[in-house]
Amino acid sequence: MSTRSGQAQRPNGSTQGKICQFKLVLLGESAVGKSSLVLRFVKGQFHEYQESTIGAAFLTQTICLDDTTVKFEIWDTAGQERYHSLAPMYYRGAQAAIVVYDITNQDTFGRAKTWVKELQRQASPTIVIALAGNKQDLANKRMVEFEEAQTYAEENGLLFMETSAKTAMNVNDIFQAIAKKLPKNEQTAGQGSSGQGRRLAENDTGAKAAGNCCK
Amino acid sequence: MEKSKYSNVDEYGFERASNFNFEMHDKFMSQYIRTLTRRSQRWSTLTGNKYKKSNTLKRFVRKGIPVDHRLSCWMSVSGALELKNKSKVSYFDLKKKLTNRHVLESIEIDLPRTFPDNIFFTNHEYLPSHLYNVLAAFAHQNTDVGYCQGLNYIAGLLLLATKDEEGSFWLLKCLIDKILPQYYIITMSGLLTDLDVLDELIRVMEPAISRHIHKVGMPWAMGITKWFVCIYSEVLPTETVLRIWDCLFYEGSKILFRVAITLIRLHKQQILETNELGDLIACFRNMKNHDHVIDCHQFMKDVFSMSGNLSNSKIDKLRLKYQK
Repeated sequence: MSTRSGQAQRPNGSTQGKICQFKLVLLGESAVGKSSLVLRFVKGQFHEYQESTIGAAFLTQTICLDDTTVKFEIWDTAGQERYHSLAPMYYRGAQAAIVVYDITNQDTFGRAKTWVKELQRQASPTIVIALAGNKQDLANKRMVEFEEAQTYAEENGLLFMETSAKTAMNVNDIFQAIAKKLPKNEQTAGQGSSGQGRRLAENDTGAKAAGNCCK
Repeated sequence: MEKSKYSNVDEYGFERASNFNFEMHDKFMSQYIRTLTRRSQRWSTLTGNKYKKSNTLKRFVRKGIPVDHRLSCWMSVSGALELKNKSKVSYFDLKKKLTNRHVLESIEIDLPRTFPDNIFFTNHEYLPSHLYNVLAAFAHQNTDVGYCQGLNYIAGLLLLATKDEEGSFWLLKCLIDKILPQYYIITMSGLLTDLDVLDELIRVMEPAISRHIHKVGMPWAMGITKWFVCIYSEVLPTETVLRIWDCLFYEGSKILFRVAITLIRLHKQQILETNELGDLIACFRNMKNHDHVIDCHQFMKDVFSMSGNLSNSKIDKLRLKYQK
């Protein structure tokens, strides 16, 4: 993706200033569609029966936002409650999280709230959290009202969208909204290798690129 | 390349991946068929109490149990048969008492998500219902574990390998209750312990790899959880997994570490060449495509020659040290 020059080349030849890399973690109850959202976002695919994630999966996707290239390192976790003990290893150092629930299942909304609380307490204080009400294509079986979730999200300072990994509704948009909200400067950097707005490693974009990134 | 004479579905009903190495597989099978014939003849000479544990049987098992002996041999050497014979309740009675709605729902959700690419699960009515029965009966008689995701893959492969629902139940019970550590209970404490044990083993045996993995920033949980929780099903080629299970049922859970160390050592160069987390994780995920891993016969030789001197007592000591 990157060039060896200090700035990434766009196809039309114009140059692009910043390349920022962010760690994003997906959390939420089992079978709400976490892996499906990632699969839709990264590969544009959807499987009706997505295999259950054991442990965690990892994918990356890059999007362009104005003059910035944002690379997401996506950590997709197992949803079943007992895998909870592994979760802190995955959200440690994350700059963004998508907490997913299934709009046809009230319990999964309750579980999403628990995840939000845990992130607010345990994760990085500057973490950007988005709430995704997935399976919007099944709105006729809705058990969680849009307004209820929206009010909750506003009260807690969360981004909120209803999404459908199946129809692709709002999938790119939610990642885009997160990218917009993430700080793309070095002032907030820190916290070791997985800290805020991490610049790409020197061997990835070249030493000069590192100097230009995220300023 | 000449078209492979093997189907794009393996003998257990799994679709082979689009990047499946047919050339390597054909080469391996042309040799392995001879091995299978020789093995079958050798096992047919076993008489009397065929599966009584002995040095000869242990050697035989390490070289692979023939398909038609697998169910009986696993049942016998693992202790599952003893569990079954001593149990006051039969499997058929257990199946009749399924009351926990919450547990049953989580199992139902996972049924179509278990091996969705396996033709025996997608094209047949009976296999998903057998899987449901085994998991539901297990969850109800072991309430400390109930249903843990990952068990669906183990029970699923037990069913594919043995084609016997009742046997699969007792083998699953034996694995969870007797052979494997406490991976599946609500805290998954046994898993957290074993991740630390592996961390120490690699630190001592392969310090460069250990340093590199920490430097790149991959938690062991990321690369290894599925290996241990699914005992390599859904991780390695099916035939290789079954050969690992042959030894697991006979020799116990230390085989999980031997396999992990062997996989890591076989990929030492590739691991050290990665710079980014994504590449490192991809390297772990692609280990199933290594020539020595597809060639299950070679792989098991590697497992017993490359993983060092790993005794049960050494593993026990380490597990005690990292107990949660």
